[in-house]
Amino acid sequence: MMNFPLKQVKLSTQMSEAVSEVVSSTRRSDQWSQLLIDVGVNRSKESFAKLFKHYAPLIKSFAQSSKHEGWFPGLNEDLVQEVMIKVWQKASGFNPEKASATTWIYTVARNCRIDMLRRKSNTQHLPLENEDYWHEPDEETPASLFQQKRSEGKLQQSLSKLPKEQNEILRKVYLEGKSHAETSAELGLPLGTVKSRVRLALQKMQILVPSEYQENDHNE
Amino acid sequence: MNNKPSHCPSADMLVEFAAGSLETAESICVSAHLHFCPHCRGTLHRLEQIGSHFMEKNCEAVSHRASQSSGLENQETLLESVMAKIDAAGVDEPAQTTSPKGQFPPLVNKLIAATYEKLNWRRLSKSVDVAGLKTGQNKFEVALHRICAGGKTPKHDHRGLEYTVVLKGSFSDEKSVYKEGDFILRQPGDTHQPMGAQNGECICLSAQSAPIKLQSFFGSMLNGWLRIRPN
Repeated sequence: MMNFPLKQVKLSTQMSEAVSEVVSSTRRSDQWSQLLIDVGVNRSKESFAKLFKHYAPLIKSFAQSSKHEGWFPGLNEDLVQEVMIKVWQKASGFNPEKASATTWIYTVARNCRIDMLRRKSNTQHLPLENEDYWHEPDEETPASLFQQKRSEGKLQQSLSKLPKEQNEILRKVYLEGKSHAETSAELGLPLGTVKSRVRLALQKMQILVPSEYQENDHNE
Repeated sequence: MNNKPSHCPSADMLVEFAAGSLETAESICVSAHLHFCPHCRGTLHRLEQIGSHFMEKNCEAVSHRASQSSGLENQETLLESVMAKIDAAGVDEPAQTTSPKGQFPPLVNKLIAATYEKLNWRRLSKSVDVAGLKTGQNKFEVALHRICAGGKTPKHDHRGLEYTVVLKGSFSDEKSVYKEGDFILRQPGDTHQPMGAQNGECICLSAQSAPIKLQSFFGSMLNGWLRIRPN
């Protein structure tokens, strides 16, 4: 949380204009977020069908890339169904100012995928569902929205420009669901190399906030 | 925010967490830390955007390879089946499960509620009590540790990984002072002797991949009791 001294806030009218411009353009106007809001607020089945048409193939290909032990093709369409049912049920909790529809649906898909795996591989009672692990995104302040808008643009740009070897590792971690250790074993690379490539990629995408990051003692 | 945690999980651990590829017990510790740490929550949100980017791009690549506009041939049937399930469920929202109340992050409260009616503390040493938590996995032993005010814990080293998240109060060791929300990783070979703060008891969540090893002679007699007990 940032606390601006009052004086500084008064002086930076130019900055606040820039911020409010960003804020208004950040109110998600993309069609998917609009449809998701319509599902949440009006329980619109038409909008849900449109979302389904767009996201079902995305979720299916996400499922298809899964390389988890115990994952088999028969689960791909189960995941599509489970995720889309969750989307219907949870749509009223979607806040377009906190995340885009695609990021929101990605988190639902990620959580469902892990829950399906845990249910399949575990005979013990599981006290937690994967949803329990995640926190609601924080309320955005204009300053953090400003930063987020910048970082989202940069993120899209810089992700497409990542060197192949960094992109490959992130792909394995996010799509195939591999840990860094599994990725290192599979690519025949030392674990340290995998981790440093991940970090280089994050630095390029400005995911880590450097000044604050260095203040903290981050565990290795 | 002055009481923001200053010891955080490494960036690559947050990546695995955001991607959903982190072990259950490690995820529990990261999640407990996130409860206290707005900075890591911000990082996590950006890391989730990477995930959504990969989900989108992957689909484009797949449908490009398959040279068809959609990766789902039976989309209509699937949608019908989903709509049927939604209608059959009758209610729009899943029944709101009341989350168990407690003094800790919600996920920890839920684990406590799932484990015992009441926490089952057992004495580990003069100043440390431990209460195991059931987590449905067997790679780590997950437990709460309670150090009494000013309590000295036995000097010990680690044969495996040990994650600690301070949930209440604070403790210190040779390296630093750890307060609420701080996330500490001890590697095999690290030796330390944590001490509870003078002003009150300290409660930590911990996940150990192998039992810790006590160093003193008396401690070595205790070692037999510290066998890992995965739940």
